[in-house]
This record gives sequence, structure tokens and C-alpha cells, in this order.
Amino acid sequence: MSVLDRPSHRPGTRPPAEPPAARRRRITDTGGRRVRPAELVLRYLLLLIVLALTVGPFLWQLSTSLKSPTEDIYGSPPSFLPRHPTLRNYERVADTVPVWDYALNSLKVAGASVVTNCVGSALAGYALARLRYPGRRAATLVFVLAMLVPVEGIFIAQFTTMRELGLNNTLVGVVLPGSVGAMNVLLMRNAFRNLPYEIEEAARVDGANAWQRFTRIALPAVRGTLAVVAIFSFMGAWDDFLWPLIVLSDPSRFTLTIGLNYLHGTFANDERLVAAGTVVAVAPLIALFACLQRYFFRGVGEGAVKG
Amino acid sequence: MTAPAPVPAPPPAPRVPPTPRVVPAARRAPGIRRQLPTSPWLFAAPGLLIAGGFALYPFVSTLVNSLTDRRVLLPGRFVGLANYRELLHDDMFWTGLRNSVLYVVGVVPALVVLPLLLALLVRRHIPGVAFFRSAFYTPVVASVVVVGLIWVWLLDERGLVNSLLEAAGAGRVGFLSDPWLLLLSAMAVTVWKGLGYYMIIYLAALANVPRELHEAAAVDGAGPVRRFLSVTVPAVRSTMVLVAALSSVAAFKVFSEVYLMAGPSGGPAGEDTTLVMLVQRTGTGLTGRVGYASALSVVVFAVTVALMLLVLRADRREET
Amino acid sequence: MRISRAILTTAAVALLLPLSACGSGGDGGGAGGSDASGKPEGEITFQTWNLRANFTPYFEKVVADFEKKYPGTHVKWIDQPAEGYADKISADAAGGTLPDVVNVSPDLVAPLAGAGLALDLDKAAGQYRSEYLAGAWASHEVPGRHGTYAFPWYLNTGPLFYNKSLFKKAGLDPDAPPKTYDDLFSDALRMAERSGGKVATLANVPTVEDFGRYGVPLMNKAGDGFAFNDPKGVELLTKYKQLYDAKALDPQALTATPESTGKKFLTGAVAMNPGSALDLGNFKKQAPSLYRNIGITDQITSTGHANMYVMGVMVNSRTRHTPAAVAFAHFVTDASNQMAFAKQVAIFPSTAGSLDDPYFTEDDGSDETRVRVAAAKSLKTAVNYTPVLFSEQMKTALRNQVAKALQGKESPEAALDNAVRECDTLLKQQG
Repeated sequence: MSVLDRPSHRPGTRPPAEPPAARRRRITDTGGRRVRPAELVLRYLLLLIVLALTVGPFLWQLSTSLKSPTEDIYGSPPSFLPRHPTLRNYERVADTVPVWDYALNSLKVAGASVVTNCVGSALAGYALARLRYPGRRAATLVFVLAMLVPVEGIFIAQFTTMRELGLNNTLVGVVLPGSVGAMNVLLMRNAFRNLPYEIEEAARVDGANAWQRFTRIALPAVRGTLAVVAIFSFMGAWDDFLWPLIVLSDPSRFTLTIGLNYLHGTFANDERLVAAGTVVAVAPLIALFACLQRYFFRGVGEGAVKG
Repeated sequence: MTAPAPVPAPPPAPRVPPTPRVVPAARRAPGIRRQLPTSPWLFAAPGLLIAGGFALYPFVSTLVNSLTDRRVLLPGRFVGLANYRELLHDDMFWTGLRNSVLYVVGVVPALVVLPLLLALLVRRHIPGVAFFRSAFYTPVVASVVVVGLIWVWLLDERGLVNSLLEAAGAGRVGFLSDPWLLLLSAMAVTVWKGLGYYMIIYLAALANVPRELHEAAAVDGAGPVRRFLSVTVPAVRSTMVLVAALSSVAAFKVFSEVYLMAGPSGGPAGEDTTLVMLVQRTGTGLTGRVGYASALSVVVFAVTVALMLLVLRADRREET
Repeated sequence: MRISRAILTTAAVALLLPLSACGSGGDGGGAGGSDASGKPEGEITFQTWNLRANFTPYFEKVVADFEKKYPGTHVKWIDQPAEGYADKISADAAGGTLPDVVNVSPDLVAPLAGAGLALDLDKAAGQYRSEYLAGAWASHEVPGRHGTYAFPWYLNTGPLFYNKSLFKKAGLDPDAPPKTYDDLFSDALRMAERSGGKVATLANVPTVEDFGRYGVPLMNKAGDGFAFNDPKGVELLTKYKQLYDAKALDPQALTATPESTGKKFLTGAVAMNPGSALDLGNFKKQAPSLYRNIGITDQITSTGHANMYVMGVMVNSRTRHTPAAVAFAHFVTDASNQMAFAKQVAIFPSTAGSLDDPYFTEDDGSDETRVRVAAAKSLKTAVNYTPVLFSEQMKTALRNQVAKALQGKESPEAALDNAVRECDTLLKQQG
């Protein structure tokens, strides 16, 4: 499997993810082969079924969150669209929880996590993939084992360490343990390993040092994988509940996930309100992903996650 | 730290296009060889510090704790292997082990096969496929807590799924009350959430399957199923192994889905308890038995390492 | 004696927790001591549990009043969400960052007192004891240990709600709800039979407080072992098994949570549900049609004592400002502040005499007042049945054994014997 032989990136073929299809009369695939109409119909049918399965639950949640208090949400057959759509539930979420302040904290935490993960795992991944030094296998093993440690049992030990560092009750303390994810390091390592070595070798012969080879040659070539790492770390930091709860005591520093838990704890019986809370929690992630998806899918094309 | 070195006019560093190509030898400038001592350890240092400090070091203390009878708030004494011996006689441990193993057995085949099919489905660049790809990825993006809340609400006795079943004339199903259905439902949610993630991994691998292979097979008169089995599967085999390894480790350590759907006590009579849920239940809270939970953690860790090795070994054997 | 023990325990915890040897946050353990007689001053932190969503103005006022009354003090109020509270407190306790004044429930107090982290209020604040209901003050005593480790704060109890229209449909008199366990069980069986198993009457499996209310002795006399496997306990569980088999106990009861049972009552899948005055508002808003049909009756007991829940306010024994912390813990639980809190939400003060206030005795005819007056009356003799030493792990053990009996995998006797054995082991391990 040569890395160079990637049909989708071959010059002359269309880039993926942008099918300028509307005007074309014949539908063709990447290779330029024509797709038979029957097959096309079947494909779209299957795509729509999977779409209903994957996105449907989120839409149902959205619909529940827009239903007014007088509307029956338990009825059978269910009503998919709210009869009198209302934003009242969202207002109540905002009345209960300082959504904006908490979202800002979450954004800080997730943003910092993206930066540290991209930098830290790119550096470490490069070292594991490219640099020859004694102890490289041991270093790789460290990351593999770190990935396997069950985290549920170690949070008190982590908290104690954090307190020793004087970082409890700070957003830095929230970010730190996940700041360079072992999984991300291994992803970056694979991405770097899949790059052809020749260019870097050439640069090395030309006298470029490791840092220069890293920043000028290797890193630009794995931008897509960096996007993957960015999304993973953003998601991870944004979604985390227990660790921020343990580290933070000052309510002004709470993250959105903690804040939304007040809803669940206080209004557990109000399905509409809880639904509105989950929509608030998920929407930023979906928006972020929608913005980054092109890079993301390209990153995947780079073979970051291949065996 | 590793400041860019003051190297005289770096050689025309090749501007790397998205697809790196080998630089023609002619463009190489006769560079000055001034290798700066950039230690590889400096590159790896931040990652190693974090992995060491926040995963391995706490885990070493877990190992130590597993030999004591420590409680969350009270110091422990050294008790040797007593915690491990107790494990062997703890019914809940065996239930947990059974469920975690079942989870691997139930989830891994689905996560190895279904995302591959899905990847084949969204692989062709037919109009709108980018939208579908992104949409299929949505469950991966949403946090597991949100996913749990959504599915509990869907599978509730009065939830959407049961309303639909009833409207269709079938009876209501106790997805969240029968221990086996609960475990199955949790598995389904895990698969649902993982589909997009592994689909992406397969897409990457499929990009490397030379089209010529398919075409040659088609010319030979092979139908889609034959082509799938004789061309696609062998070409993405190493990726299937990777997916199997990643998903089995994740499945064995499953916590959130079952915890959220079956409740903290693990379903009726605790029958849906998984090993990691047991770690959480016995080891946390003010009365948590840190020593015993640590022994459980060590077992979980050992099994995941073994699983990883097993998958990789099976791969090697098949290859030869 | 107790202080030196606290120091020893603290030191031992510090040594055993990796990297925490320097113990900076602990200030040498017990620095403040239990002497609360000085002038209250300094900055203290007060932590509550899941109260900010609805009561922020109330707490801000309490804090402001306190700071005005004791110049030189500063109180920082923080609130934690419902989930993960025990994890949060245990990490703080292990790491030496427990707030100065902490909202606790009796089952949280016991381990904290065991680790020497809760101040003994009999010593430090014994003079306030008479301000509280005797039963409430005693609810934060820990068996096997001298002392009282938290001020009693708000109490709660509530009636049993029932769905009149479901009663009517089953041919039961909607105005004669069950008063005794026998009535309850026979009505429930009838309800299940008439509805073809569609409508259950109860939605929860019996918990330790249900055993208590049924008159089962929960612990032995010495307080060092559990005893709910006696014939009376077996009798209750056997009854529940009958209900479960007849679908008079909801089939989903084995996995039920308080939220899910509330929802079931709201949707008419279950005919009765314990609740509090708080739920009435909920019914009104969420299920107006149910609200019109709602019946209210007293908790059923065999002992004549209703069950109550107690919240407490504990003082961290390692606080640097013992006088201020004790003063604040007393302030927030004193009669006037508890009364003000009770007027905001359906809880009940634990201070002596407060329940005789007209607010709790005069019925103005509305449902809410009726519930409140009845609850206040029952509180005078109510008991917190749940033993202080009954930990989360024990609750799970009992719950799982009860489920096994209901499923028919164990006989009620064997299940309760197992549960008692497991809980006894856990109790010994708690030390």
C-alpha cells in the first residue's frame, strides 16, 4: 500500500467532500465510472435510513426541547413536531444556570486542551515516529500503557497531585491531566510514520535539524491529523464532568457540563428542560465539527489512524 | 525550550504539498551540516510528563493500594494478596467480568463490520455524500452523558421507541427493566455511538485500496459480495485488526453507557454491573474501599493488556 | 484525646496519600482546634448541595446578614450539583481542601467523623443543643463514637400521593386510600388485577427505611451489626414479592430511580407515589389533568412514626477559623433562618418550637397548606430510619438482594440473610 497511491488526492480528480453535482447529468464516482441509477437509488435509500438512525435521536431531543409545557410529550402515537414551538425551556435553562459564563469557561478549557494536545502530541508523536534514540520503544510503551489505565480508580490520586501543585480550583488543573492524551500521541505517531521518509532524509542531508524538519516538513503534511486531534481533545474537554467537578470549587469557574447537571438534579422530572440542556451542551460541538469537517476528513485521508 | 536554531539561510525547504512528493535531487542545496543537539527527549518530554504523572504514577499507587485495605478516608495496612483472594469469592466480580466479556463479544464484531459497510456506502462521491458523512459522525461528537440521556428517554417505557412499537401494534418492550435487554440496549448505544468513529478509520484505509483491484475482479465477473470478501476485506485487514483492538479495549472498560442506562446499582439485582462500574461503586464515595477497588482496577488493566496482545497475536498468526 | 486522634489520623492519611506528605492545606491538622469560644472572624467557605438553582437570593441574604452581625468575617458560599457530591467531598477530604462549613447528610457525616474531619459539636457548640428538636440533634450522632458531628438543618417528610381516577377505575373508593400495610397490599393487588397488570400501585422496591417503617429492627442493640433479616423483615419482603409477581409493584421497580418513579406517577403508570409538598407544584405544572385527580394521604407505617430526611451542617475540624465556622453553621441553622428557608420551599425547620408556628399549624384549605400542616404534625414524632452507618455500598447490597428475592432467585429469608452479611462485612471494613 503505497501512500502515494491515493486516488482521491491524485491531481486531476476532484477533491473529496465537494461534489459539484447539481449540474451534472451523469453521476460518476471518483474513478469516473458511471453509477447505475438503480444502484444510486439503493444507495440513497440506505443513506437515508442510516441518517434517520444516527441523527434522528438528536432531532427528537430538539423537538422535545421546543415543546410547550402544555403539550403532551408522552403520547402515542408520538408527535414529532412541537405543536406550539417555544423557546421558553431555553429561557428557563438560562435563568437557572449562567450558561454564558459557564460556556466561556468550557471554551477556555477546551481551547487550551486543543492547543496543548496538538502541540504536545505532535512533538511526542514525531519523536516516537522519526527520531532515533535509545529508549524509544520504552517511551512508546509508556503511552500505550497510559491509554490502557482505567481512569475511574485514580481520580483521588490525581486530585492529590493537583493539590500538591497548587492547581486545584483552577482551570489549569482541569486541563492538565488530559493536556497530552496518550491516544492522540499514538495517532500523531502513526501519521508521521506514514509520511514518506525521503524528503526528511533529504532535508537532513541538507543540514536541517530535527526541529526544522519537524516544523517545516513533517508538521504541514499532517495538518489533517492535527484536526482530528483537535476535535478529539475539544470533545473530551468539553464533555468531561467528574474531573472538573472534583478540581473546581469556585462556582464562577464551573464548566458548562457541571452547570447543566444542576438542571438534571433540580428538574429531573421535566423532560423538556433536560432536553433543552442537552441541546445546549451538544450544539457547540456539532457547530465546531461542521466547521472543521473538511480538514477532519482530509486528516483521515492522510492515514493517521491506519494500523 | 527548543528555539529554532540560528541556521544560516535554511536550504530551500521544500514547501510540502498536501501529498508529499519526493523532492527532486537537483533542488537540494548543498547545506551546511550543523546538526543542533535537539534532544528527542525534549520533543517527547511534555507528553511523557503528563502520561507519567497523571496516568502511570497514579496507577503505580493503585498497584500499591491493591495490597492494602485502605479506605478513602482511612489509612490502610498491608494485607498482601487478600484483596485478590476476596475477588475470587465475590459473586459481583464474576458478574462484572461476565458482563464486560459479553460486552466485548457483543460489541466488537458489530464495530468491526458495520462501520466498514458504512464506509463503503459513503465512499463514492455521489452528491451530498459529504453531508451524510458528517451527519453519521454526530453521535461520536456528542458526549456520552448526553447520549445516555437521549437514549434513556427514547427507550423509556413511555418513550418514542415504545410509542412507535405500540402504534405499530406490537406491545411495549421493557428495554430498561429486563437485565438482558438492558445490556443489549447499552451495547446497541455503544455501537450506535461508535459507528461514525470507526467508519472514518475505514474510509482512510479504503482510500488506499487500489481501484484496479476492484476493476480486475469485476472483469472476472465477481459480484459485489465476492468482491467485498476477496478484494476489500483483505485490503483493509490490518485496519480491521486495529479496530478490533481499539474497540475491544474500550468495550471491556465500558462504564458510562451501562451506568447511565442501568443506574448506579447496575440494573436489576446488579446483574448488569460491569467491572469498571464495580471499581467505581466499591472505590468511591466517602466509604469507598480503595484497596479492594484498586485490586479490581489492576485486574481490568491486566485483562485489557491481554486483550490487546491477543488481538495483535491473532493478527500475526493469520498473516503467516 | 479526640484531637490527638484526629491529628494521628490526619497524619496517617497524609503519609499514605502519595505526594501529599507536605500536607500544606491541612495546616498541621486541627490547627483551629475545637475551641469555638473566640471572636468569630476571618474568611470561611460554606458549601451547600444542589441548592443554587432555586435559592441563590436566600443564601446571599443569609451570608450578608451574618457578615453584618459579625464584622470581620467573610463567608464564601459555594454550591455543588446533585451528582457526584460524595466523590467531590471525598476528594476534598483526602486532599485537605474540605470547606470550613459543609452541608451534609447523616450518612456523609459518619465517615468524615470517623476520619476526624468533623468537629464534635457537643463539645464545641453544646450550648446550642437546646435550640433544636432533640431527635434532629441526635441524628448526627455516630454509633460507636461519642459526640454529635453536625448541626441539624432542614427536615423533610411528606405524604403519599395517589391517583384518584386510577383508584376509581379499579373499583376502589377514591376517598378511602389505604391506611395500613394490609390495606395497601390488598388494594395494590386489586388494582393490578382489575387493570390486567397495566397499572401498578407501587414503583419502588423496599429500601432500608421501608423496613424501618414496617417495624423491622434495623440494627442490633449494640449498634455493631444489622438485624433487618428478622421475621418481620422477611414478612415485608414476602409481601413485596407477591406484589411484584402480580405486577402490583411496577416491573421496572428493580431499576427505578426517584426521578423515574416520579415520571411514572405523572404519566399514570403507577397509582401511588411518596412525595412532598414540593411535588404538588410539579404536578400542577406538568400534568394538570392528574393534578385534579390527585389524592393525598399519610405515609403508611406500622410504628406510628413517619420517616423523615435530615440535612445537616458540619464544621470542618481543620478549619482555621473555628469560632467563625461554628458561628456560621449555627447561624444558618438557627430558628429564624430556617423559618425563612421553609417559607421559600417545602422543607421543615429542625429548631425547637418552629413547627408550632401558625405557618405549620393553620390550614387555609389549599392543598399545599394541607400537606404542609400534616407533614409538620407528623414530624414531631418522625424518625430518620436510615441508620447513619448505612453507606452507599450497603444500600446497593440491600437493593440487589431485594431484587434477587423479587425475581425469585433467592428466597426472601436467604436474600435478607445475605444482605445482612454483606452489610456487616462492609460495616467492619469501615472501621
